[in-house]
Amino acid sequence: MTTIQQPRILGAGVDRVDGPLKVTGQARYPNDVNLPGMAYAAVVRSTIPSGRITRMDTTAAEKSPGVLEVITHENADHLGEAPATFIKNPQPPLQDDAIRFYGQYIAVVVADTQQNATAAAGLIEVEYERHEAILDPHDPRAERIKDPWGEDTAWGDVRTALNRAPVMIDQTYTTSENTNNPLGLFTTLASWDGDTLTLHDSNQWPNMIQQVVAAMFGLPRDAVRVLTPFVGGGFGAGLRCWSHIPLAVMAARHVGRPVKLELTRPEMFTGLGHRTSSINWIRLGATRDGRLTAIEHESLTTLPLDGDEYEPCSSVSTWSYASPNVTARDQQVRLNIPWTNFMRAPGDAQGNFALESAIDELAWEVGLDPLEIRLLNYAEVDPKTGRPWSSNALRRCLEVGAQRFGWSNRNPEIGSMRDGHELVGYGVAGVSFFWYQQPCSAKVIVRGDGSAYVRSAVTDIGTGTYTIMAQLAAGLLGLEVDQVEMQLGDSSMPVGTAAGGSGLTAALGSAVHDACGRLIQKFVDLAGTDPFSPLANVPFEDVAVSEGRLFRKGDPTRGESLARILAVHGLTELSADGNSTPNSPDQLGMTPAGARGARFVEVRVDEDLGRVRVARIVTVNDGGRILNEKLARSQILGGTVGGVGMALFEDTVTDKDTGRIANATFGDYLIPVNADIPDVHVEFVGEPDAFNPIGVKGIGEIGLVGVAPAIANGIFHATGKRIRSLPITMDEVMD
Amino acid sequence: MTTLTVNGTEYPLDLADPRVTLLDALRDRLDLTGTKKGCDQGACGACTVLCDGRRILACLTLAAQCDGREITTIEGLESHPLQDAFVRHDAFQCGYCTSGQIMSAVALLGENRAGTDADIREYMSGNLCRCGAYSNIVAAVREVARHA
Repeated sequence: MTTIQQPRILGAGVDRVDGPLKVTGQARYPNDVNLPGMAYAAVVRSTIPSGRITRMDTTAAEKSPGVLEVITHENADHLGEAPATFIKNPQPPLQDDAIRFYGQYIAVVVADTQQNATAAAGLIEVEYERHEAILDPHDPRAERIKDPWGEDTAWGDVRTALNRAPVMIDQTYTTSENTNNPLGLFTTLASWDGDTLTLHDSNQWPNMIQQVVAAMFGLPRDAVRVLTPFVGGGFGAGLRCWSHIPLAVMAARHVGRPVKLELTRPEMFTGLGHRTSSINWIRLGATRDGRLTAIEHESLTTLPLDGDEYEPCSSVSTWSYASPNVTARDQQVRLNIPWTNFMRAPGDAQGNFALESAIDELAWEVGLDPLEIRLLNYAEVDPKTGRPWSSNALRRCLEVGAQRFGWSNRNPEIGSMRDGHELVGYGVAGVSFFWYQQPCSAKVIVRGDGSAYVRSAVTDIGTGTYTIMAQLAAGLLGLEVDQVEMQLGDSSMPVGTAAGGSGLTAALGSAVHDACGRLIQKFVDLAGTDPFSPLANVPFEDVAVSEGRLFRKGDPTRGESLARILAVHGLTELSADGNSTPNSPDQLGMTPAGARGARFVEVRVDEDLGRVRVARIVTVNDGGRILNEKLARSQILGGTVGGVGMALFEDTVTDKDTGRIANATFGDYLIPVNADIPDVHVEFVGEPDAFNPIGVKGIGEIGLVGVAPAIANGIFHATGKRIRSLPITMDEVMD
Repeated sequence: MTTLTVNGTEYPLDLADPRVTLLDALRDRLDLTGTKKGCDQGACGACTVLCDGRRILACLTLAAQCDGREITTIEGLESHPLQDAFVRHDAFQCGYCTSGQIMSAVALLGENRAGTDADIREYMSGNLCRCGAYSNIVAAVREVARHA
């Protein structure tokens, strides 16, 4: 009974169920909500990276037209500690005079209009005592943290293997800081009603915001309601309770009115974290025919003074290829910088760039086709434990991708494929993505008319959760997709996990699966109490469901509709709660494998200008069971665009003297535009994964991973220039 | 009093504060929040609306400049084929840039600049999509342009 009954509903390219709202401007994002009597907030940020505030003059701001309140550390409410959720959350703002990074919030101004609030914020005068800031990861004074998560890994004897290896690659690969930059300006609209608080808030995890805000303001969790039915993207930016959120809550309490605090684009660069830069040291040992004998991968990433971050860049080297000797170590260094934070494929994106570049270098060193070397070193089993994978179609990704791309047309000689003034290069990269899942819950309800609705506190950040969960519930309950209504993005609903780590579909999907199974069981039990029911005395195992009816397997005439069962028993609806927790690798005797993928890229390099153009991309991915091909393809397309950005454009530049982010606008921080993106062929391979009951693997992030090394590897093929730092710029190509 | 004409309706507006942009007037004063703010600096295109049929950035336009002009926002489209095409081609994910993309595409069709994929890509490049739906946006615009 708990199998998926209507496979035709799954996999099909069902249109996004929230699509009509989004193409008509009717989907209400947090900053679209306007409440009666609402006031507007504007923040003031520090203009030094380290030190303390010695004087603040708010007189002019307070007298400025329309101003209702100015809050600084001198009159801020004392707030409680922010609890760590999956990782740490920033401690409450405005609690002391200390400055830890350039751009830290030091005041908030509330006024009757946004214009008045913004103007008054500019009138606050601040004097500082400056301390020397530490901004360079190589600064010897900076605190270094070794093995930050206790996950450093080693097996075999890497030292000896490297010493004895006939072929060795020993290189350093670096990636720049990137900023998530979801297009939606993160906004908190805080509204108090006595001792209860409602937040319309941009985030990826409403229950996390609820928990952290409740703790900071000393409220019971139930007194805080967080509403996020729609959010203008996240890419990881919404996975912590950032400081503007308690600022808005505090401001609303001060003025006794709802307060909307909408970050500006420059504030989005300092207030929501960013992808850490990374330095990756890689040593590969191999036989003359290209078989890996040793991988040593060390990384260094950055941290703010008072935060944490989980960014294990080296971990990709422990599961991507078979090697008898592996060492993977990570270090972090604390700097006076805004928080580093998750951004689409944290750690994996940077580590994969390093590993897949190094593997490519090894291929050239031993004279092997870059595709062949990846197939040669394919990890048939988890190289760390020797356990089988829950599923792993990396080999198939590489083979299918090569065929679709026409890899066999590649002339292996460097610079041999020319088209006019452009040098053509083919690049490939493999991707093995991490696995991640957290507990989640959902409630599924069938109404008297036979339709259903599904509730969970999780939010859909644009990945398609509304749609695929409606499909899944419809499939499990024997309904049509349009008979299932989704209610998400409200912390008062059944507790949900984060829309992050590519983990939501498995977590929520398994909870919906559990709830639907329990609900059908309830219907069968109910029918069993009715001696006139055609289903009386039919055991649960023998019941199937289709077209809103339960019936005996093999005898569709012997059944009863869900609506009729409810009517017979005088019920208006019937519901069931579902929960999911990740399975245990030990119990199942297998290693859960995240998504797998292969990237094939044709780059064209202008010989005279060094301009790099991506001409076409083939991306093949193993995402386990695909619930909706149309939306899954979009996830991969979007990741691919992010990967092109990481490879060629994105670089958050910090001024090394002041710690100021120097390019914190969309005019200066470049992301791909439509004309930068060529034809992208997306394809899925693989089978339903064995690690969760619905067989899915998360695919929200993997699309980004591998694009950058495939481009870099293609540039090497075209030009003979091996570029080991991202983003790849024209000057490096010309150098 | 300034009069803003938006989607055929006249809205008298007290613009004692001349700093109010068209974007803020639409969103904060008229509660027409379909037009989005992504940068407020004229760099992302999320606030694209039509002014007398031409696409403009509402964040770089003062509301007071629009006295006597016809503004069309996403709420003013009446089942435009692009809206349907955007849904079928999955030309968005989070949906935040979508109003601006569609308004730009509506103007693009009027400008006869949707003849080739290269043209569509070029002339839609003022509208950023961080979710990366560009290929599907091109497919949606191409389909409507071919059937126009």
